[in-house]
Amino acid sequence: MRCHIVPPHMLERIARHADDPALRDRARRTLALTSAHFADRRLTAAGAPAPSEDFVPDRTIRDAGNREELPGRTVRAEGAPACGDETADRAYDWLGATFDFFEAAYRRNSIDGAGLRMVSTVHYGDRYDNAFWNGEQMVYGDGDGVLFTAFTGPLDVTGHELTHGVTQHTANLEYYGQAGALNESMSDVFGSLIKQWHLGQTADRADWLIGQGLLASGVGGVALRSMREPGTAYDDPRLGKDPQPAHMDHYVETYRDNGGVHINSGIPNHAFYLAATGIGGNAWEKAGRVWYDTLTGGSLAADIDFAGFAAATVQTATRLYGADSVETKAVNRAWTGVGVPPKANG
Amino acid sequence: MKVTVVRSGGFAGIERRAQSDSASDPMLTRLVGRVDLKNVPPPGRIPDQFLYEIDIDGDRATVGEAQLHGPLRELVHHVLSRVH
Repeated sequence: MRCHIVPPHMLERIARHADDPALRDRARRTLALTSAHFADRRLTAAGAPAPSEDFVPDRTIRDAGNREELPGRTVRAEGAPACGDETADRAYDWLGATFDFFEAAYRRNSIDGAGLRMVSTVHYGDRYDNAFWNGEQMVYGDGDGVLFTAFTGPLDVTGHELTHGVTQHTANLEYYGQAGALNESMSDVFGSLIKQWHLGQTADRADWLIGQGLLASGVGGVALRSMREPGTAYDDPRLGKDPQPAHMDHYVETYRDNGGVHINSGIPNHAFYLAATGIGGNAWEKAGRVWYDTLTGGSLAADIDFAGFAAATVQTATRLYGADSVETKAVNRAWTGVGVPPKANG
Repeated sequence: MKVTVVRSGGFAGIERRAQSDSASDPMLTRLVGRVDLKNVPPPGRIPDQFLYEIDIDGDRATVGEAQLHGPLRELVHHVLSRVH
């Protein structure tokens, strides 16, 4: 186990009550580093940062040297100049963009809301076709070059993986069945929003694709998922056809992929798209705010289903914008549009 | 003897499936002989990790990529490599 020089309860006091914001910030970060999995939820709620406080990212990029071993050798730490490895430097930049998005859009300080260090390992495995969040850090493969390019390429992949960390530290949605598909959908929603924010795109201008640029040239497809039209992102003899449904009528019952979490996420993904385009403007501002507050509000059950989540977003929209607002109506219509009508007074 | 491997999950969520038959795959029996499907740890729920479902003549287990080591890893990669 870890040794603490300053006991955690003291750090929590400092994090919450110290007059000096820099001191609070440092205490929060120390706590986050020493008890990443336990103390943060409680602390985040109690120790809201001062409105003027500027959050600073703490990034570490590691290189697995094409082996499947974590965490790998550190090649770039926070504040260090570019290391010259294009993949590592892009991972560093995309972590920064993702951190900046959560700060600018929702005043969130990193993955756990308390300045948690962000660690990415690149060059994982040999021609490895994947990226994942292992509960503590992000991991990226270089892709095989035939079907997939490097997973560090698209910004929304980093946004997707980091959002798995945000979900873990907030609603902690169970990674199975409908809750798991919602977990996946949160990562796609905020992954896409990070890209839209970075490019300055309004909802009607965004491509609403996940993993655009990840398919190698010659592969039949534009991306891995489409939030606008789930099921249309790719169709290739080697990969098969995008299996995502856009409506509850086509929900896929399977035990594989943790109950089809990457398949059925198409339904809540499309609901978000409908809500965001129904409201209009920058999707991260209103629809994104409703989803973010719902995810991080502390009242979602870890095993919530689509209907429960739909009702919760309507409640959040009602609280933020009023029951008869354009926003709440758009959220209601969005869920009805994917076959998950929220309860009357939900 | 027949061995089927289905890989699911991953960021892409694209399924890969492969099968091998000892009648046409001389290495298969030896690789299977070193594997104990009953002692495979549960896959855990790691977001976007690959899940491997291994079926050996009807005996089935699912393992997460983080736990795919040793003889089982050799078997899985052997079977998957025979198709693609």
